[in-house]
Amino acid sequence: STDSVIDTQKHDCDPAFVRLRNPCTDAASLYMLSSGDVELFEVKAFEEDFHSWFVGQTVQRDGRLLFVTPMDPLYLILPCLIKSGIEGKFQPVDQVVMDEEFPACSRLLSCSRSLASLHHVAEEKEVGTLKFHRYSQEKTMNWLKKKVERTVITLKKRNICVGQGVKSTTYVRVKPQSDYQEEDYLRYAHGLISEYISEDLSKALLRHLELPELTSPKETEPPSKKRKLSDKPVEAGEDYTKFNSADFVRKPSKKMTAAQKSLAKVDKTGMKPMSSFFSPKVKAEK
Amino acid sequence: MSCNTSVIRVQASSVEQTQRVPVHLMPCEIEHNGTARVSQYLTATTKDCKHEKTVSFRGRGLRGQEISCPQGYTGLVLKEINKLGSDQEDRTVRVSSVFDKLTYWNLETPPNSDDTVVMAMDWPELAEAIHGPVED
Repeated sequence: STDSVIDTQKHDCDPAFVRLRNPCTDAASLYMLSSGDVELFEVKAFEEDFHSWFVGQTVQRDGRLLFVTPMDPLYLILPCLIKSGIEGKFQPVDQVVMDEEFPACSRLLSCSRSLASLHHVAEEKEVGTLKFHRYSQEKTMNWLKKKVERTVITLKKRNICVGQGVKSTTYVRVKPQSDYQEEDYLRYAHGLISEYISEDLSKALLRHLELPELTSPKETEPPSKKRKLSDKPVEAGEDYTKFNSADFVRKPSKKMTAAQKSLAKVDKTGMKPMSSFFSPKVKAEK
Repeated sequence: MSCNTSVIRVQASSVEQTQRVPVHLMPCEIEHNGTARVSQYLTATTKDCKHEKTVSFRGRGLRGQEISCPQGYTGLVLKEINKLGSDQEDRTVRVSSVFDKLTYWNLETPPNSDDTVVMAMDWPELAEAIHGPVED
């Protein structure tokens, strides 16, 4: 049996898909909050053209697969902090983490990781029992750098192709891992992390990593030949009635869970240079 | 128009009792939703070699393999209950079946580790790197 999707005994409500502002695109994307808003999940679609499912003795035209994976809520909280931080004042986070367009935004503070990790991106001040925060670019850069380093480790461990050459040929894993330079990994990881931050932060992070900006990488790789697999955040325009495609749910450690799903799309539009593998694409929305 | 306030609830309470079903990812778009005699026309004629399955489907040779869901993940098939109502209202989906492995089929090409769906299964681990907590 599937251990877990959501342990409803523990909380009195079900997990739910919600729309929140995507920190990279600034548009709506689909996320999931576990029951009790304890945990946040990203919903990514994986899809190839011309695919359908057979599920038991039925056919399901929609061949997408959704991946629902745990997400660091700080990526979504960060834009709120930055916005309010312009004034340079220390403020209570519950007055900062909100978005008129996306009411679910304030629920992010209920995630158990949110308050515990604010110090990675903000200075904290305690006055009596009250806590105040102020965005810190310096802290944020260090935090993002650690994210990049973690990602590099996994890329190496999983033997994921990261070189420029990979994308400009086909997506065959021909190159032995040892041929990649550290910079290839850093750039690739930077590309992955950049899907969760604004363009300004992405550029700042590149400088923080001491990587020179590539001038026009697009010209060096014909888009048509890029690796085909890419998933993307599910955007607001998606029709969620298509949910009866196959999904994944994470089985968390006994207590609760995540649900997971996937649907996906092949990226045909211009992706950012490094994000070939799992990059959200900026989809021309209907 | 999408409404940013609407949510889609997932009724998860029933997952434990939900039936496990065989799931196949087919290399073609089938313009139909509904019942199909999958076991009669696909499963029954599938040949199992070592790491590869073969079957003839509508006269085309398919070559596939079974892969597991990433560790710690379970496949869910969700169905919307109550499709009535406008976009503005909250909606609910339920888990109609579950799977922990799936069979994907290529047209002619032997299944290999560069197949996109195989690579996609790396995503949860990569996501863990991107989203897992960092140390101070």
